[in-house]
Amino acid sequence: MKTREKPLPMTVLSGFLGAGKTTLVNHLLRHAGGRKIMVLVNDFGELPIDEDLIASREGDILTLANGCACCSMGGDLFEAFSTALDFTPPPDHLLIEASGVAEPKRIANFARAEPDLVLNGIVTVVDALNFEEIRADRRLAEILETQIHTAHLLLINKCDLIDMSEIERLATKIRDINTAAPILNITNGVVAADIFFGMDMQMNSNEAADMHNHGHSHESDFSRWSFETHAPIDRSVLREILEALPPTVLRFKGIFKGGDEAGLWIVHKVGPYVDFAALPTAREFSGKTGFVAIGLSNSNLAEIMDEAFGSLR
Amino acid sequence: MSSITVFSAKKIITMNPARPHATHVAVREGKVIATGTIEEIKGWGDFTLDGSFADKVIMPGFIEGHSHLMAGVIWNYCYTGYQDRIDPDGKPWPGVKTLDDVQARLKEAEAKLGPDEPLVAWGFDPIFLMDRRLDKNDLDMVSATRPIVVIHSNFHLMTANSTALRLANYVGDMDIDGIAIGPDGTPSGELQEMAAMFPIMRRLGISLRDLGKKKQSIVDFGKVCNRVGVTTATDLINDLPDEDVTEMTNVTNNDDYPIRLMSLLNALSQPADETRDRALELRGKSTEKLRLGSVKIVTDGSIQGFTARLRWPFHYNGAPNGIWNIAPEQLNSLVATLHEAGIQMHIHTNGDEAIEAALDALEQAKAKQNRPDLLHVLQHCQMADRAQFRKMSRLGVAANLFSNHIYYFGDKHYELTIGPDRALRMDACQSAIDYGVTFTIHSDAPVTPMAPLFTAWCAVNRLTESGRRLGEYERITVAEALEAITLGAAATLQMDHEVGSIEVGKWADFAVLEDDPETIGAENLKDVRVWGTVLAGKTHKIP
Repeated sequence: MKTREKPLPMTVLSGFLGAGKTTLVNHLLRHAGGRKIMVLVNDFGELPIDEDLIASREGDILTLANGCACCSMGGDLFEAFSTALDFTPPPDHLLIEASGVAEPKRIANFARAEPDLVLNGIVTVVDALNFEEIRADRRLAEILETQIHTAHLLLINKCDLIDMSEIERLATKIRDINTAAPILNITNGVVAADIFFGMDMQMNSNEAADMHNHGHSHESDFSRWSFETHAPIDRSVLREILEALPPTVLRFKGIFKGGDEAGLWIVHKVGPYVDFAALPTAREFSGKTGFVAIGLSNSNLAEIMDEAFGSLR
Repeated sequence: MSSITVFSAKKIITMNPARPHATHVAVREGKVIATGTIEEIKGWGDFTLDGSFADKVIMPGFIEGHSHLMAGVIWNYCYTGYQDRIDPDGKPWPGVKTLDDVQARLKEAEAKLGPDEPLVAWGFDPIFLMDRRLDKNDLDMVSATRPIVVIHSNFHLMTANSTALRLANYVGDMDIDGIAIGPDGTPSGELQEMAAMFPIMRRLGISLRDLGKKKQSIVDFGKVCNRVGVTTATDLINDLPDEDVTEMTNVTNNDDYPIRLMSLLNALSQPADETRDRALELRGKSTEKLRLGSVKIVTDGSIQGFTARLRWPFHYNGAPNGIWNIAPEQLNSLVATLHEAGIQMHIHTNGDEAIEAALDALEQAKAKQNRPDLLHVLQHCQMADRAQFRKMSRLGVAANLFSNHIYYFGDKHYELTIGPDRALRMDACQSAIDYGVTFTIHSDAPVTPMAPLFTAWCAVNRLTESGRRLGEYERITVAEALEAITLGAAATLQMDHEVGSIEVGKWADFAVLEDDPETIGAENLKDVRVWGTVLAGKTHKIP
């Protein structure tokens, strides 16, 4: 067993058969942006990677030209997690493509329990075309609802294939099952890597630089917000603030000085899921402390965030 | 011409209805050439008479249709189960009846370990030690420095001591499913399901899968079988990479290896067409003692773990419905692909909804192309109702029923999981007989101990651990149960032309018994003593 300096962030991608998980995974691999993503496929179909991305095949493991890798879990979660954690070179991110009938929370629990993993969220893709059909099948309704209910981020895929009014009706039904997770409408499995994996804010000074400006960068549908602070903050206060944020705030991340507790803390939030962890003290942290968020551009992200954090300014 | 050996016996139960009993069986080239009296046999020419079984009862070697290789090598770990058991080398292990017993057993094992070895135990069953749960404090008293984990009998839970918990940083309440919290607000030591167990197993290097891949595991499995009169046994799910197949071939080819081993390819480890191609390739690697080419498909979970897929009205205690390992739609296409290619499927189905999905998939495949050469088998098939048995009969599908569950989990099924109505009809051997469904009964060792005569006792008596009779109607006779553990099992493995009865042309594979199962009395069937076995004419006395 290898030991890691810092935990490996893990995202569980859930969704029923045909919802578009595979297309989404390929999109993310094409837009990995320098991240070494390791994809574990918890299903028994073909490894779903587009041929042109594959650099080599060795046994069950596909290596991609951009440093990413993909392998099948073969029904044995124990073995698959061992492989991923011991993999060389160590990946930056673990993406589990859950089987169409898997309960994503069961898989996510591995990341919550294992000290070398950190859960980066459960993302569930919903098929705009056959949601009703699957929900009407008594054998499948429960798992479909569980996948939606336990998601931290929901993606309604194939939105180009139905009317806007139908999308809205569908979103209402999904909101009944999951009241807290952000819901995004997407087509062809296209979602920004920053939304899916969270913002890159690694624990060193260089990469913290991208939160240097307090400002809002507009890119198509999303807004960004950031806030630099050196003030010590109580975790319980921060948790309260974060839990009150609306679902239009998609992701939130930060590094801050603890209140009554010594040392630095890292926090991230996706949808309703908030996770705190002590920043490993092995290395001196020389970067800036503060927070970043990403949200829907039509939701006044800056106003919402500035107001939420008003008390800490 | 090679020589004939004639075994005499107090009684030979042949399972051949044309000649159900005999006093002698003649063997040439590893096969039965004749049964009957000496007068009848001597027409075949010169023979050597072997009288060593003169006071014993010979039956066809028993066949375990659902077990796992792990049943042997798991004894590398310290046994802490409630029931008395015997390890593969014949050492008796009295059951541990109290938490004090557990500690004493662990201390004894701990004393024998090297300084850096963790202490790993298995078989613990909290159902039987009801006063309170085993926790880390109990284990800390065994050792405060050495990591200790006690794996529970269902393999879904474990209890760890404080040293082991610290390895995974389980020191506070992290609000994680599966990490039980004790009265002091810290983890109690009990860990539920793989996600919570993984960090500790990983750090202690405990891999049940690696354990099962070792050569010793194949050897030990043979010993386990030999002790209970089994001459053909299944390893019901395996990824079967080439190196493991080579090891299995080498070990089983040895004359001293006492069983024929059938190992099934996991159909959910690769895409359907790869499973098909690999199964066909493996079929070509079969030998007289290693059978390959059939596949296993796991559809749902277990009833006692509340992960079986149930139809309405679902769980008796209101627990949510269970899990699918494969979506019904995917099952349809996988079954169609394998059926069309002529590959035998053993489909794990515990709950009645999983049984329904499997039967629907088989029905579709068979409606398209019947292939009467294939007998597919529903494994466990515990909750099938009579309509489903009628459907199995129409479709020509066999069942391997989990009769040991009646004893080990029957009370829990009656009181908690599925309630009285469905518990009284579970593992329905009589219904299988009523509708002419080919069937056998099994142990799923190491989940429950392998011992076909005990399994037969369960099917005949249907008594639970507390002594409750779990459904009078589904009881079967001793004769029917004996057929189930021999010919019935052989049929489910498509080997009934080779093994399962003592008759001309079949392998001379025998179970040699000290007592007569036909006369010992239905209630005593489990107490029939086993002397050993004969495989292809060669004797294997229990060491």
